[in-house]
Amino acid sequence: MWTWFHRLGSPKWFYEISGRWLPWLTAAMLLFLAVGVVWALLFVPQDYQQGLTNRIMYVHVPVASISLAFFPMMAVAGTVSLVWKMKLADMVVKVAAPLGAWFTALALASGSIWGIDTWGTWWVWDGRLTSLLLQFFLLIGMISLRSALEDGDAAAKACALFSIVGSINVVVIKYSVDWWNTLHQPATNFTADPSQPNGPEIWVPLLLMVIAVYLFFIISVILSTRNEILYRERRAQWVEELVSQS
Amino acid sequence: MVETAAQTSTAQAFLATLKRDLLIAYKRKNDMVNPFMFFLIVATLFPIGISPEPERLSEIAAGVLWISALLASLLAMDNLYRADYEDGSLEQLLLSPHPLYFMVLAKNIAHWLVSGLPVVLVSPLIAYMLSLPEGSFGVLFLTLLLGTPVLSLLGSIGVALTVGLGSRGLILAMITLPMCVPVLIAGTLAVEQTQNGASLMGFLAIEAAMLLAALTLAPLASAAALRISVN
Amino acid sequence: MHQDSVKTSQSSADDLITAQQLFCERDDRVLFSNLEFSLRRGQVLQIKGSNGTGKTTLLRIICGLNQGYEGELNWQGEPMAEHLESFYGELLYIGHRVGVNKVLTPLENLRWSAGLQGPVSEEQLYQALADVGLRGFEESACGSLSAGQQQRVALARLLLSPATLWALDEPFTTLDVSGVALLEKLLAEHAGRGGAVLVTTHHALQVPDLKVLNLG
Repeated sequence: MWTWFHRLGSPKWFYEISGRWLPWLTAAMLLFLAVGVVWALLFVPQDYQQGLTNRIMYVHVPVASISLAFFPMMAVAGTVSLVWKMKLADMVVKVAAPLGAWFTALALASGSIWGIDTWGTWWVWDGRLTSLLLQFFLLIGMISLRSALEDGDAAAKACALFSIVGSINVVVIKYSVDWWNTLHQPATNFTADPSQPNGPEIWVPLLLMVIAVYLFFIISVILSTRNEILYRERRAQWVEELVSQS
Repeated sequence: MVETAAQTSTAQAFLATLKRDLLIAYKRKNDMVNPFMFFLIVATLFPIGISPEPERLSEIAAGVLWISALLASLLAMDNLYRADYEDGSLEQLLLSPHPLYFMVLAKNIAHWLVSGLPVVLVSPLIAYMLSLPEGSFGVLFLTLLLGTPVLSLLGSIGVALTVGLGSRGLILAMITLPMCVPVLIAGTLAVEQTQNGASLMGFLAIEAAMLLAALTLAPLASAAALRISVN
Repeated sequence: MHQDSVKTSQSSADDLITAQQLFCERDDRVLFSNLEFSLRRGQVLQIKGSNGTGKTTLLRIICGLNQGYEGELNWQGEPMAEHLESFYGELLYIGHRVGVNKVLTPLENLRWSAGLQGPVSEEQLYQALADVGLRGFEESACGSLSAGQQQRVALARLLLSPATLWALDEPFTTLDVSGVALLEKLLAEHAGRGGAVLVTTHHALQVPDLKVLNLG
């Protein structure tokens, strides 16, 4: 009964309701982004040590914090997909993996741009960067696992399971890498810590950027899930009607 | 034919599976020897590729041994469920009345005895050849002894997820190697830090905790993955 | 898509398996829908159909190897998914891939099967192998046996298992004339003892109390 309900009901419902949210979310994101970017790039006082480069923080911190959210999100969606066989949850797991890989890559790239000024090199085996890199590998592994398993149902379950196993592992990796890092290079735990900025003129624009990027993340997930819904339900009547209308 | 439905106990089924897998390994000596040889060869490549100087080797010896053990375990992994998948024995295992957890555990233990234990046993020899400081032999041996079963248990999840795939080698590496990083870190740190005077017990406790967690959780994940893969 | 000769006149407690409104699609193609059948002790249910109609899929769904279906499957009147342990305790499945390891000998293969299902003595193992016509092959590696002989190794499990329900996927394909006769005899005997059999085959089965489920 429930599977039947989810099979027919959920994706269509989500498609309709998310269609109504999207304009609002987009407007809010653009607003936060515009204010945040202008503030961060033009009005925030320069860092006395790092100069202009420090402004990469306003990209790196939001993007990196989002990347950390992917595995927990996929684990929740994966559990829902495995336990309640909800197709929508599986779609979220599916679209989250490539998005997560992109965000993680972006976090790594912005991190290393920041690094060239902070550490004088593009890459340092810093704890955060290293665990992000490993998470990136896991996400790529997940994408290739999904594409290698041709059968839709088996791929869905396998990826859901892997997202649960992976997210447990990402936590263990994070702690062990921190441990490894502190024992190896106690010297590099310095200024780059952005959690203690000096005052509101620094953290308010950062907060705006974080909100903007979170909104961007939500919009990306919604858009690619809608795409996936249309593809999977391409034989359903409502999709055919939708296509013929446009 | 036996009318009274006399069932084997789970312990009997566990032992039967363990025995069967050990017997298969014994009959297919290649599968048993190859990962071991691979371990020796990879460990040999490091002095050739990096430097034969004892001072430099002694610094990297622990890492070299751990990485070689990790790669050897990955290579050996593919045998774990593939033959059973191809000849239908895996279906028999899934349809046995016993908890799949124990059946998977039996297979993992047999697999580690065959492919992991020899690597652990030979590690002091390689450690000597790589000029590992003598005081660290025991630490290395103990950490490998506690750590390689974790590698087998984690690898088993990856193999179970990919057993139905035609070309799975690289995918298997991509999903299992990052998962093994914590074990690698704990193992190499233990060797390095005890050289600097840290106490061994802390590291052993962490490795033992990892092993216990892996023993409890990994076979569950493997079992679920097998049910998904055999579809 | 339709059933013939199957009427669930009495949904008695004798029913081992009952299926209601089974639906399965694969690659956007409906294999079967609204499929209903039941299987009692003493019955042999033959699943028939042309290639690609989902015979094997149905058998695997019943055995819990394939979860890609909708509808109700009951084991002795209870939802099957919730009573897998008791179901598997009484199920013997021989798939298209018969579950015979090629490195091991027939004896060693049977010992493992017995370890999973029900304990048997060494004499019973030898006797079972002799009964399926493998006397003298007990100690040869199964890889050196022919496909038909490997099938016979799997059939020896039928003789040793305590299972009530046999689920056999195309068991006749590699068997010779005497093997076919042997298997038919085993099926009839098993049904006569109060067991039940699910079998996918095109073969015209010669057993009493045969039910046929035609998938088209």
